[in-house]
Amino acid sequence: MEPTLRVKSLRKRLRSFPQAICVERAVLITESYRETEGEPMVIRRAKALSRILEKMSIYIGDGELIVGNQASAPNKAPVFPETGARWVAEQLDSFATRTVNRFLVTEEEKKVLRDILTYWKEKTVLEVAPKLLPDETREIFELTYPVISPTLFLRNCVGHLVPNYAAILKRGFGGIRTEVQEKMESLDPSMPENISKLQFYRAVLIICDAVSHFAQRYADLAEQLASTEDDESRKKELKDIAEICRWVPENPARTFREALQAFWFLQLIIHIETDGLAESPGRFDQYLYPYFSKDLAEGKLTLEEAQELLDCVWIKMNEVIKLSDIPPAAKYFGGVTMSENLILGGINEDGEDVTNELSYLCLEADRHIMLPQPALSIRLHSRTPERFLLKVVELIKTGGGKPAIFNDEIIIPSLMSDGIPLKDARNYAIVGCVEPTPSDNTNGWTNAAMFNLGKCLELALHNGVCQLSGKRIGLETGDAKTFTSFDQVMSAFKKQVSYFIKHMVTMLNTWDKVHAELIPTPFVSSFMDDCIAKGQDLAEGGARFNFTGPQGIGLADVADSLTAIKTLVFEKKLLSMDQLIDALSNDFEGQEDVRLLLRNKAPKYGNAETTPDLLAREVGLFYCREVAQYNNPRGGKYRPGLYPVASNVPLGGVVGALPNGRKKGIPLADGISPVHGCDVKGPTAVLRSVSRVEHAAATNGTLLNIKFHPSALKSENDMKKLISLLRSFCSLKLMHIQFNVVSADTLRMAQLDPENNRDLMVRVAGYSAMFVDLDKKLQDDIIERTEHML
Amino acid sequence: MDIERTTGLIFNIQRYSIHDGPGIRTLVFLKGCPLRCEWCANPESQLGHPEIIVVPNRCIGCGKCIAICPEKAITSTPIGNVINRSRCTVCGICVEHCFAEALQIMGTTKTAYDVLQDIEGDDIFYQHSGGGVTISGGEPFTQAKFTFSLLKLCKERGLNTAVETSGFTSYEIIEACLPYTDLFLYDIKHLDCDIHKQHTGVENSLIIDNARRLAAKGANLTVRLPVIPGFNDSEENLVNTVEFVKEIGVTEMHLLPYHRFGEQKYRQLGREYKLTIMPPEQERMESILKMVERRGVNVKVGGN
Repeated sequence: MEPTLRVKSLRKRLRSFPQAICVERAVLITESYRETEGEPMVIRRAKALSRILEKMSIYIGDGELIVGNQASAPNKAPVFPETGARWVAEQLDSFATRTVNRFLVTEEEKKVLRDILTYWKEKTVLEVAPKLLPDETREIFELTYPVISPTLFLRNCVGHLVPNYAAILKRGFGGIRTEVQEKMESLDPSMPENISKLQFYRAVLIICDAVSHFAQRYADLAEQLASTEDDESRKKELKDIAEICRWVPENPARTFREALQAFWFLQLIIHIETDGLAESPGRFDQYLYPYFSKDLAEGKLTLEEAQELLDCVWIKMNEVIKLSDIPPAAKYFGGVTMSENLILGGINEDGEDVTNELSYLCLEADRHIMLPQPALSIRLHSRTPERFLLKVVELIKTGGGKPAIFNDEIIIPSLMSDGIPLKDARNYAIVGCVEPTPSDNTNGWTNAAMFNLGKCLELALHNGVCQLSGKRIGLETGDAKTFTSFDQVMSAFKKQVSYFIKHMVTMLNTWDKVHAELIPTPFVSSFMDDCIAKGQDLAEGGARFNFTGPQGIGLADVADSLTAIKTLVFEKKLLSMDQLIDALSNDFEGQEDVRLLLRNKAPKYGNAETTPDLLAREVGLFYCREVAQYNNPRGGKYRPGLYPVASNVPLGGVVGALPNGRKKGIPLADGISPVHGCDVKGPTAVLRSVSRVEHAAATNGTLLNIKFHPSALKSENDMKKLISLLRSFCSLKLMHIQFNVVSADTLRMAQLDPENNRDLMVRVAGYSAMFVDLDKKLQDDIIERTEHML
Repeated sequence: MDIERTTGLIFNIQRYSIHDGPGIRTLVFLKGCPLRCEWCANPESQLGHPEIIVVPNRCIGCGKCIAICPEKAITSTPIGNVINRSRCTVCGICVEHCFAEALQIMGTTKTAYDVLQDIEGDDIFYQHSGGGVTISGGEPFTQAKFTFSLLKLCKERGLNTAVETSGFTSYEIIEACLPYTDLFLYDIKHLDCDIHKQHTGVENSLIIDNARRLAAKGANLTVRLPVIPGFNDSEENLVNTVEFVKEIGVTEMHLLPYHRFGEQKYRQLGREYKLTIMPPEQERMESILKMVERRGVNVKVGGN
């Protein structure tokens, strides 16, 4: 099925708007906050959202079937002063001049923002929270070359949820309103614990009205547009839009289209309430399926119509954007991805495969739209239908890096080990990049911080002294030059890790308390189990399950470094600790032979070799167990992850030379993937190495990237073999895998940097070769072919 | 004979091989080949003893190899370090000290048991894909004992086995391996004996005869035809080959288009690559494919 003309033109139109800043939200929320000073924060938040939804500009674009906009035009980003006031003020003059992620802003808009932002001084999490840290933790927080990067939830709202979309589709906000009113009537207001509950319920009632009113505004606008529309078919469409928006999300959805429109209002308002990322639609093909199948059975909907509506939702998801926080001095620029993870397939609460016809249409929607959102994922298990995997592999082959693949066979038991009951574990979805999270009821703080394992090793090898600043920032774990056994190295490393984890937890728990105080989120709380049952906002711990998930970064670099020390220094004695530490201190300057010895003559993680694989396991497990012993202020546990988003690049930037032959400042390895260029035995060896890391302990998620040259995905037969690889991945009980189909540009980069690209394999009719080992002439030939294959 | 302890000379073990037999396979490349095909893409496979290759773009010019070589066989030249092959005893000391891996040894002696362990590591991938092991070369049957041992050990462990062969060996050797071999990827390069000898160094009669006998024995054969422009791609030879394949009762063919990816390895080995022809165009391959199909043989370009 090809996308319809409407879809093509909507997609084209979306791409035609420049990225710009929209000041409306900032103006409206500031007005509201000024008026509500002194009131309970949860009420202030509800009133502020209500003001925004009532006054913000709305539009219905030409040809749109699903309506609802976040800002005054597509590709405009609203401003969230309640979290961003300081960083937005600091970057105001650079937004329009950045080389990447540029946002246009007029002088007049800047003036408006400057006036507003002064109101927010000392009122944001970023300004309030760090001051509450104990002195030692604050020093660690303020390091120029940090071990911990805990700033995402300091500079932004939290997000990272899979709320209960189905509850609103089934009951509407009318249903929520009734439930809340009943709760309020049943509460004895004289009981002390009921005071804050009643405030929360009042806030939810404000929200219910505000959301319904917002939809009515679209109904009014659609009617108005219909009255002046000459084209009869468009007139009819506009009337339909009006009728739908009059009905949902106040009332239960009756049709697939109403359900999609209601879904979109929810997803949209989440992104108006806060600037949290990774607000993930979760098991979209499951909660929408009843509406889809009913309409189809009753002949109210054709597959073509369903596809077009889905395509429209996909486009809408790309319309929501966020102002990206890139400090002007930042060395590495990464784009901001909304990371709205939508997951297809998998098993249900009863353990049955529930891949359905809608799952296929969703894959097709992604192929049609080919834009970053949603972050598309699939759930794989031992009985995933072959037909579904074929379709998945076809999408992988297009080279967009989607979908990511998650393994029910390990994720469900690992969630259960965190105390999640079987039914909830089976109903997991993915938040953000890779974080397994029960649907409907979990506040996981899944991307809470990045923890630099590479930096900990650097500090362990230099008695706590940072090699970039020359300052002692870690524990004094002894002069490594005097170490006479590998165990001493390992023990020094572990001490540094434990020390910094404790400080990381101190930071995150402080942020958590401040979020509860400053940024309750009554809108999303209204459809997050069990906030209403408990009468408690999400930010305060109202969700059924609460976690905090910080990620360890640099696992492969540490494993390879420890392997090099173990084998080359202590076993083969090709190098002394003294020589090693000197070479590291000098960043291998003038000692390329030492660097190459470390890089090439010790086994590396990713090649199915015992020593590095078991060291990766030991390091990963140690990090996970250390983290897992802590608790957060919402009554939940810490749960560790081993994935980087894109932080492995900036985090590598603050780490000195390491014993795996990595020079200062080079990016660290990506998640639990091997170090770039070190896995030279192909994907099966990588999967086997990775399988030795204890996935069940990294319950907040792991990440494995595999590169494929398109030559390995050429024929139908090749694709079937990739499916076999996926089935093996499932049996090996790895959590996550995603495939990057190598582009011609990647190969050109590899020509410039062969050492870090030794893993690139190309296959030509039964002949395989490592790309970087080929002659320039042949490389050029392959680059040319690659361009034709994608 | 303790087959687990039989040793072989191996120059590469390649996993996730997807074009040399069914499923996901591990390819074991054995060293030594009686043929000298002009187009050979793996020249490091030809000699039956270890060799050292020089990869100039990895060399950092530290000079350690020149200093350390006991035979003084390495010299520095403007195009990189060069090994005087007549002096080199392949002692491997230079390779050990070349941290940049600009010098590498091709050919390591391993026991069948060690290789089996390596192969079995990927077992889970074979299970899901119907794959297994393919022994390739060189010509695997020049290391007859080792090939027999490895095939038998693999078969005893339930692995799917394939051998990629030139067929240039005594029939008795192949026959001994037959019970342990699920698939022969059997090269037929030319049906004319003289032309065959001229471009591969050996006559084809043994190859043709062995193919006939193997097929008659009911072995599972896929005939592989390297398509070398100007050598074996004449209409006449192509038709003869397909007719021969049909005549002996084989139903599967692979067409392997000539490529020049092996060219640089000749330089790395200090040898000369003599062919100057270009790879066949894609259209040409497709027309050959259609011709073979028309004659009723299942055919693929590349492997399966």
